[in-house]
Amino acid sequence: MLEVKHISCGYQDAKIVNDISFSLNRGEILCIIGPNGCGKTTLLRGITDLLPYEGSVTLDQQEIRTMKRREISQKIALMAQVSSATYFSYTVYEAVALGRYAHQKSRFGTLSTEDKEFVDHCMEEVNLMEIKDKPITQLSGGQMQRVFLAKALAQDPELILLDEPTNHLDIRHQLELLEFLKVWSSENRRGVIGVLHDLNMVRDFADKVLLMKAGRMVAYGGSNTIFEGDALEETYGIDIKAWMKSLLEKW
Amino acid sequence: MKKKIIISLILTLVIILLSVCIGSQTISPLHTFSILGNKLFQIPLNSGISDNEVAIVWQLRLPRVLLAFFVGGALAASGTVVQSVLRNPLASPFTLGVSSGASLGAGLIIISGLSLSGIGIFTLPLVGLIFGLATVFGSVLLASKIDPNMSNNTIVLTGMVFSLFINALLQALTALFRENLESIVLWQMGSFALKGWKYVGGILPFFLIGIIGLMFYVREMDILTFGEEQAKAAGVETEKVKWILLGLTGILTGSAVAFAGVIGFLDLIAPHVVRKIFGSSHRYVLPMSIFFGGIFMVIADLISRTLVPSSEIPVSVISALIGAPFFAYVFFKKEKVRNS
Repeated sequence: MLEVKHISCGYQDAKIVNDISFSLNRGEILCIIGPNGCGKTTLLRGITDLLPYEGSVTLDQQEIRTMKRREISQKIALMAQVSSATYFSYTVYEAVALGRYAHQKSRFGTLSTEDKEFVDHCMEEVNLMEIKDKPITQLSGGQMQRVFLAKALAQDPELILLDEPTNHLDIRHQLELLEFLKVWSSENRRGVIGVLHDLNMVRDFADKVLLMKAGRMVAYGGSNTIFEGDALEETYGIDIKAWMKSLLEKW
Repeated sequence: MKKKIIISLILTLVIILLSVCIGSQTISPLHTFSILGNKLFQIPLNSGISDNEVAIVWQLRLPRVLLAFFVGGALAASGTVVQSVLRNPLASPFTLGVSSGASLGAGLIIISGLSLSGIGIFTLPLVGLIFGLATVFGSVLLASKIDPNMSNNTIVLTGMVFSLFINALLQALTALFRENLESIVLWQMGSFALKGWKYVGGILPFFLIGIIGLMFYVREMDILTFGEEQAKAAGVETEKVKWILLGLTGILTGSAVAFAGVIGFLDLIAPHVVRKIFGSSHRYVLPMSIFFGGIFMVIADLISRTLVPSSEIPVSVISALIGAPFFAYVFFKKEKVRNS
């Protein structure tokens, strides 16, 4: 569904991401990994044209650059890193409902019955119904993360991009979230691209892995191939496999 | 929510009527009703109402109260929009340089004594509005040249640069033309006195264009409070929407300042108070801030013309004097609720 060919992007004059190519099929999960500052978030921004890119990004044969923002948002949702607390105290429901923007027809913010049902459905999927009317200013980081996920789901996208989606979550919620995304992508035949730091989670969760270093692609392929090779050790500069094993022995 | 809105609308009407009744010469509500009924629906006047009372209600008070209402509503609505668009609860339309621009325009007219043929008394408001709009346009344009993403900090900073620069120009002018110093300062302090129906008619088109235009963008305002990137990812053409919204607030604030003077503070506090009561969703916050700002200004003007008999305290002074403690009260109350 998604074809990325020789993408480069960055800010003003500084190129952060250089010449990366990969592809994603429906129902597949791709994880982007790499050391801090290697350009993972910038790459996600490039794919959705939040930053101008060179090269080509096509979703179902359509070049992203040529699409209107609204059209892009009907197909691709981005769940950004949860930023600092907001002053504006929308209720959880109102925040999630904003995800319907790209599909809404009314200019005045009223939701159609189908929109409402879909928002309810997304809230149920990530267990937000009990805190539906709570102001988002009073939520914990983990709850906020689920609000942002529900908002992204409410966009009803073909492809969902997640930037460190498990950041604020405890281990149980991390597993639940990743499990949920796995089912969501395979049942609906949709794509997921996630930036994750926890390599254990990546190994379990990803179908494909893209390893980056300093804005370039170091390795790309099936999850097993990447984790069996030496690329990880070279990129991070530590023997990850040996460390993981020694950790496991402590358990 | 419905109940709160209905109460606010009733309150608005009651306060507008009371302000028409109260003044240096108080007119009974019954007489006021009868005069309004007579003027609006040709219902015969009650007996015992003097021509003098009719003139006070219809020629002096009602246009004055309505002008105050529109100005207050325009300022409060603009404040709401600017705070949301810039995601900054401390921002206000004045941050963008509207008032300094409008003041410079007004100052130039006062000094030159210019009166354009055809528009006469509207020369000053019109020039003020044009200068105010030009300042907003200039500062947003500069922001978009420096930073193609038009990020909020850039807009706030270029707005401040423009404000300070233009303020200095105005001060230089007033220093050079001291004989106009008093008129310029008094104009800036703001007043609704003796402006009549002409001014009401003058501001109305700008008020309507601004408000109706903004109502089309309530969803975009909601989404923009979550930040630039999230807004884009949700499908909002952020640069375009920012231009439109800041342009419309320029029209609203610019006309308010041009017709009534530099009345600050309300644009900053009104959005906070309204959000406390009606939540954050702009479908409610935007219209309700118009009503809140409107009645706040009507009350401020009422106090300004009645506090000291046969004299007026500038309305900008009154709005800050009652606004600051009121604002503190609203926030203090919130803290108590949260702590309990």
